[in-house]
Amino acid sequence: MKFMDEYRQRDVARRLADEIARLTDRPLKLMEVCGGHTHTIFKYGIEDLLPPNVQMIHGPGCPVCVIPLGRVDDSISIALEPGVIFTTFGDMMRVPGSSTNLLDAKAAGADVRMVYSPLDALKIAKKHPDRRVVFLALGFETTAPSTALTLQQAAKDRVDNFSVFCNHITIVPALKAILDSPDLKIDGFVGPGHVSTVIGTRPYDFVAREYGKPLVVAGFEPLDILQSVYMIVRQIVERRAEVENQYGRVVLRDGNRRAMEAMFEVFEPREFFEWRGLGSIARSGMRLRASYAAWDAERLFSVPGLRIADPKACQCGEILKGVKKPWECKVFGTACTPETPIGSCMVSSEGACAAYYNFGRLSKVAERAAAMAEK
Amino acid sequence: MSGASDDFSRAFYPFLHEEERAPEEITDELRFSLLEKARESVAVKTRFFEEQADAILDAGRILARAFRRGGKLLVCGNGGSATDAQHIAVEFMHPITVGRAALPAVCLANDMAMVTAVANDVGVEHVFSRQVIALGRDGDVLLGISTSGNSDNLVRAFETARSMRLATIGFAGGEGGRMAALHSEGKLDVCLTVPTSSIHRVQETHVTLYHVLWDLVHTILQDRRGEPA
Repeated sequence: MKFMDEYRQRDVARRLADEIARLTDRPLKLMEVCGGHTHTIFKYGIEDLLPPNVQMIHGPGCPVCVIPLGRVDDSISIALEPGVIFTTFGDMMRVPGSSTNLLDAKAAGADVRMVYSPLDALKIAKKHPDRRVVFLALGFETTAPSTALTLQQAAKDRVDNFSVFCNHITIVPALKAILDSPDLKIDGFVGPGHVSTVIGTRPYDFVAREYGKPLVVAGFEPLDILQSVYMIVRQIVERRAEVENQYGRVVLRDGNRRAMEAMFEVFEPREFFEWRGLGSIARSGMRLRASYAAWDAERLFSVPGLRIADPKACQCGEILKGVKKPWECKVFGTACTPETPIGSCMVSSEGACAAYYNFGRLSKVAERAAAMAEK
Repeated sequence: MSGASDDFSRAFYPFLHEEERAPEEITDELRFSLLEKARESVAVKTRFFEEQADAILDAGRILARAFRRGGKLLVCGNGGSATDAQHIAVEFMHPITVGRAALPAVCLANDMAMVTAVANDVGVEHVFSRQVIALGRDGDVLLGISTSGNSDNLVRAFETARSMRLATIGFAGGEGGRMAALHSEGKLDVCLTVPTSSIHRVQETHVTLYHVLWDLVHTILQDRRGEPA
C-alpha cells in the first residue's frame, strides 16, 4: 500500500535500531505521551527492536483511560434521563463506572448509540427534534476541534435539542504535571502526533527550555517511532535539548489555525479537571463558553458530580503515570481482561493494558529484564 | 506566532505566558480557585450529612450511652487523622461550652513512647490494638479515623475492641475500604464514609462531623427522652 509500506520497512527499522544501540548503552527512559504511539509500539514490537537500555514508558495520552469514574457515572446519569438519546464513541461504552457502564445502561433501556463523530450526533438530533440528543465529547486537542465545529454548526442551524457533555482535556498541562512529578525521571519524550497537527510544536518549547528534556513529535508508523527515538537519543548523547518535528509531513510549527480558532470560540479552560491516576490538573479540561450554554449538557442536566475513588484492585493510575507496567498490576490478565475490564486502560485500544494484552508482551518483558540484569 | 495559536495558547496553556500576565489577573485566578475549592468542600459536606444523618444519630446514641454508663472514648488515627483524634479527645475532655460536662476521652496517638515502642518491637499494625487491650473496658467506645478506610492498625484495633465488647465507630473516606467491609460484615457498629476520593475533602468533612457529633452527644445526654433502652 503506497505511503504506508514505506514507513514499515523491516530493514530500515533494523538499521535504525542498530544506530540507536550504537549511540549509547546508558539506561534511558523515554515516554511516549500519546496512546496511538503506545498502540503502534506494541503492535509492531518496537520495544523488541530497541536495545535493552532504552525503556519506553507509556504515558497518559489515552483520553478514555484518564476519564475518572465520577465522570463516567455522570454520563450514565444523563443517558438514563427520559427522552435522551446519548451518543458516544464506541470504546467509551464499556468503560466501567462505579457500578455499571453505558453498554449496561443501554441494555437496561437507555437509548445509547455509538457514533463515529459529533456530526453524526448532530444528524441524529436533526432527525429526532422531539428528543434531547447528548454527545459525550472526549479526547485531547485532536478531537476537540471537531466538537467545536459541530457546536458552531448546531448554533448556525439552530438545532436546539443537541447538547454536548464536554470532557475534552489538553495534553500540554499534563505534560507539565509529569515533568513536575517527583516519581518520574523521564529522559526524553516522544511527542504526540495528532495533537500536534492541531496545536503545532511551539507549545512544547518549555519542555526543552525549562526542563532540559528533548521532545520529538512523532508520526504513527513504526519507522516514525523508531526515527523519533533515534532523534531523542542522539540529542541526549549530544547534550542537546530541543523540540524536533519528525512528523513534518503533517505537523506544522504553528499548527492548524482554523482548528484553534474554533476551539477558542467555543471552549474555555476549566479551573481544574480530574485525571484518573494523576489527580486534578489545573487548566487541563475544557468546558463550553457561556455563549454556548444552550448546548451545554452540564447546565441542562443535574449530574452527581462526585469524585469516585478507583476500585481497590485497579492500578490504572500507576500505569497511566508510567510507574508500573500493565503486567505488574495484580489483576492484569486475570480479573481484568478486555472482555471483563476493571479499569479503563484495558478498555480503550490506546490503553497500555489492552495493547499489552492483545499483542502478548508479557513474555518479552521477562526476556528484557533478564538481558538488563546480565549487563 | 499566528494570532489564532497565540490566543489559544494564552487561554489554554497560560503557564507558558506567566511573565506576560498582570499580577491582578493572577490574583483573580487565585481568588476563583479558592472559591471553587470552598464550594466543593461545602457540596461534599452537605451531601454527606444529608445521606448519613441516621447513621450519625446512631453514632451519637452509642457514645451517649457509653458516657452515661461510665464508659470512655478511645480514639485513634494515622497522620492527619491522628491530629483529628487528638482534637476529638480535647473536645470531649475540655468542653468550651458552658454547661457541657467534661467526658473521658483518650487519644491513642498521643503517647509517642508507647507508639514507638510497639512499632519498633512488634509492628506498627499493633500500635492501637495494644493500647485498646490495656485501656479498653466493656462498654467503652473505640472511634477510628482513616481517610482511605484501609489502615491496617485501625482494622486490628476494631477487631480487638469488638472482642472486648467495646462499641466501635469508624470515620472513613472514598468507598470506605476495609472499614466499610467490616461494617458490612457486622464487625464495626457504625462506619461513616465521606464519598469522595479527595483526601482534603474527606478530612474537612471529618472535622465538621466530630464537632457535630460532640454537640449531638451532649444534647442526647441532657435529654433523657433520647436515652436508648
